[in-house]
Amino acid sequence: MNSAPRTPTDWRDNAMQRRIRRRYAAERRFRLMGLLAVVLSGAFLAFLLGSMVSGGIGGFQRTQVKLSIDFESLALPITRAQLQGPGADLAISGAGLQGAVSSAAVAAFGPDGDRVIADAAWLKVRDAIRADPAILRTRAAIDVPASTDIDAAMRGTGSPEAEAIVARLEGLRLISTGFNPDFFTRADATDPGAVGIWGALKGSLMTMLVTLAIAFPIGVLSAVYLEEYAPRNRWTDLIEVSINNLAAVPSIIFGLLGLAVLLGTFGLPRSAPIVGGLTLALMIMPVIVIAGRNAIKAVPPSIRDAALGIGASRIQVVFHHVLPIALPGILTGTIIGMARALGETAPLLMIGMRAFIASPPQGFTDPATVLPVQIFLWSDEVSQGFVEKTSAAILVLLAFLLAMNALAIYLRNRFETRW
Amino acid sequence: MNGVALLALIAGLALIGWMSARARAFAFAGGPARANSLPGQHAAYVVLWVVVPALIFLAGWAALSPSLVTATALSHPAASVLPAGGFEREAILNEARSLAAGSAYGAFYSQSEGLAPAFAAAASRYRWIGTIVAILLAFAGGAYALSRVAPAFRARAQVERGVMLALLVASLIAILTTLGIFLSLVFESVRFFERVPVTDFLLGTNWSPQVIPANDPGSALGAVPLFWGTFFIGAVIAMLVAIPFGLMSAIYLTQYAKPSVRRWVKPMLEVLAGIPTVVYGYFAALTVGPAIRQVAVALGMPFASSESALSAGLVMGVMIIPFVSSMADDAIAAVPASMRDGSLAMGATTNETIRRVLMPAALPGVVAGVLLAVSRAIGETMIVVMAASGAATITLNPFESATTVTKQIVDLLTGEAEFDSPKTLAAFALGLTLFLITFLLNIVALSVVKRYREAYE
Repeated sequence: MNSAPRTPTDWRDNAMQRRIRRRYAAERRFRLMGLLAVVLSGAFLAFLLGSMVSGGIGGFQRTQVKLSIDFESLALPITRAQLQGPGADLAISGAGLQGAVSSAAVAAFGPDGDRVIADAAWLKVRDAIRADPAILRTRAAIDVPASTDIDAAMRGTGSPEAEAIVARLEGLRLISTGFNPDFFTRADATDPGAVGIWGALKGSLMTMLVTLAIAFPIGVLSAVYLEEYAPRNRWTDLIEVSINNLAAVPSIIFGLLGLAVLLGTFGLPRSAPIVGGLTLALMIMPVIVIAGRNAIKAVPPSIRDAALGIGASRIQVVFHHVLPIALPGILTGTIIGMARALGETAPLLMIGMRAFIASPPQGFTDPATVLPVQIFLWSDEVSQGFVEKTSAAILVLLAFLLAMNALAIYLRNRFETRW
Repeated sequence: MNGVALLALIAGLALIGWMSARARAFAFAGGPARANSLPGQHAAYVVLWVVVPALIFLAGWAALSPSLVTATALSHPAASVLPAGGFEREAILNEARSLAAGSAYGAFYSQSEGLAPAFAAAASRYRWIGTIVAILLAFAGGAYALSRVAPAFRARAQVERGVMLALLVASLIAILTTLGIFLSLVFESVRFFERVPVTDFLLGTNWSPQVIPANDPGSALGAVPLFWGTFFIGAVIAMLVAIPFGLMSAIYLTQYAKPSVRRWVKPMLEVLAGIPTVVYGYFAALTVGPAIRQVAVALGMPFASSESALSAGLVMGVMIIPFVSSMADDAIAAVPASMRDGSLAMGATTNETIRRVLMPAALPGVVAGVLLAVSRAIGETMIVVMAASGAATITLNPFESATTVTKQIVDLLTGEAEFDSPKTLAAFALGLTLFLITFLLNIVALSVVKRYREAYE
């Protein structure tokens, strides 16, 4: 120890006071920087969500015009018998309804009247006839979707001519903006006014189903093996390294694997939910394994010892005692993995899920698309209408993801046990 | 018989096996000899013997039979009209296959219509063979297992051995996947490097896969601009955003923030991490890209692109903030509280404690987190596909366009090129490079984390 006498620090000294002030100022600056980083991250999130909501809310709405059609004078050649049974849609379409609707539009809105209503407006009329065949003998006013031009004008971004038509129709109280249920029931189309997300949503659900059916059992079983039985040797080390590494492999690499092995070697169909599901299952399996191992590790050894003590076999210990206790934790990890799979795009592009698919898939081997890929495809469209639809589809996707994450957080809090 | 009906039949056989084994076991359960296993365990043993051999056979058959069907159909006289090889032959065969399966409505090639009945006949014949063998296997397995049900039979041990085997197989899937990835990438890359010298690919600076000269494909497939673009966007620009923001957020949340603030902010960062990358990509392409272009024009760059390296990198950096933040959070939390308390007790301010004590101690963990973040950034696809450009340039100017490995993989494989061309094979070579680089980064990061974690335990 140094025993040399030392003058005590003079804290009231001016230089010392300055130094302390400087240190405190640095402290405040540093703290402010931290706060700023958090606030800016939050601001970015708010900006992103805000721009999606403000851009996408219009995608759920559409402009419709009230079109009055004099069915009586049209005298469509449809019999009552034709309206029953499975051939009804075909019978009505065959009766020249499309032409009749556009001439009704001309009669109602003037010479370029059929440009006011959407190309698919007659489908709405067809549905109205199917719902109530009695209107075939009357004069009826039906709300039909407006054309893209009119729709744009209604939102204030249309051409001057369209704006004039809108003003005239608004005077007659024939035009209105309302919720668009078709957005949730239709599939992809070339006209932004007629597109819907049901096709992509159904494809997503089927893909998720395949993913879950494969990744969950495999993930849970391998978590059980690694945590409960695996001897410490080179083999299990190799398994562990592969799982940790797979969890960090870029997702597009899984797409290449799907393309080369599932499509190339096994000859499975392109663009099908089964291939997408398999690819995504391989991708999220490590996530489930890692979550499962943590959940199993958290089960106290006393439970195992007690079960072993009364004569249960090691398999019984795991399947009757450890797994039920660990299940909420495993489910949390599974939901998080599924949320990741639901939002994934790149590997699905590799296996051909970027085709234009205008009808929802009927089976697991049918061509299908999924919601994120649909968003990607729509984002490439130049038409103004698609920008809104893209944001609207993003809102639907985000709603699903937030719901899944909320469920995971709820499960985690609800079943969090301290032993 | 179709697949669903066959599976239902096997399930039905399993149910019958289950019930009869249980009935037999109950019959001797109350008897004089003490039974080794419970009736349910005997039943499970029989079910395993009914289901497992049949399913293993069916899986193998499903993989094998398409090629058998094709071989049989090709030996049919109608196959003699086929062209000798190449793309057209494949197309005709595919069309005949889908005609025979009833999934195609009309034929484009006239030859395929003649070939379809041959395919249908062969397919149905092999389907019947498969069905019969599967059912026979299920019966034989069930009969064998039933014959062994007896009081002294150790059914429980047998069933548990089966379950253990299933556990082992499940955990081997991870190795198989890794191996599958590696082998498929290597296999296709070797085919690529047979045509393009490795040195041209790794050292060439001209990347223009739109036009590949047939006599010297390597001259258009030099990947250096891609590597540079990937590094520039993912490891430079994105990290310039992610490291300061992620690190400062982690420091603020662990050292300064009140628990109530922390409880709100952490989920918010998790939301940021949970947003799909396609949404970030859309945001980058639609909002950030044009804004950056305007900035560039205002700075005096009249030909600035809205597909700049900056827009992709910025948005990617924001995407990675939560990742860096949670890694740094873990690293800081792992530093013993006594070190922090000691420093504070000496009179250091919190800021000085963080910078002089916590950060040096947590540095290996933070560095590992950053490495993992870089690995994630260079593997990220959708943001760069939507926001970066396809033009491969080597530039230091963030307002200029740049392209990345992942974007090029998507571009190369979603075109209309045939599967054997250098163009599509190049995508696999790029994939192999990407895989190896991210693999190395992960290994280094994980080993750093491992060593560092042990230091304080």
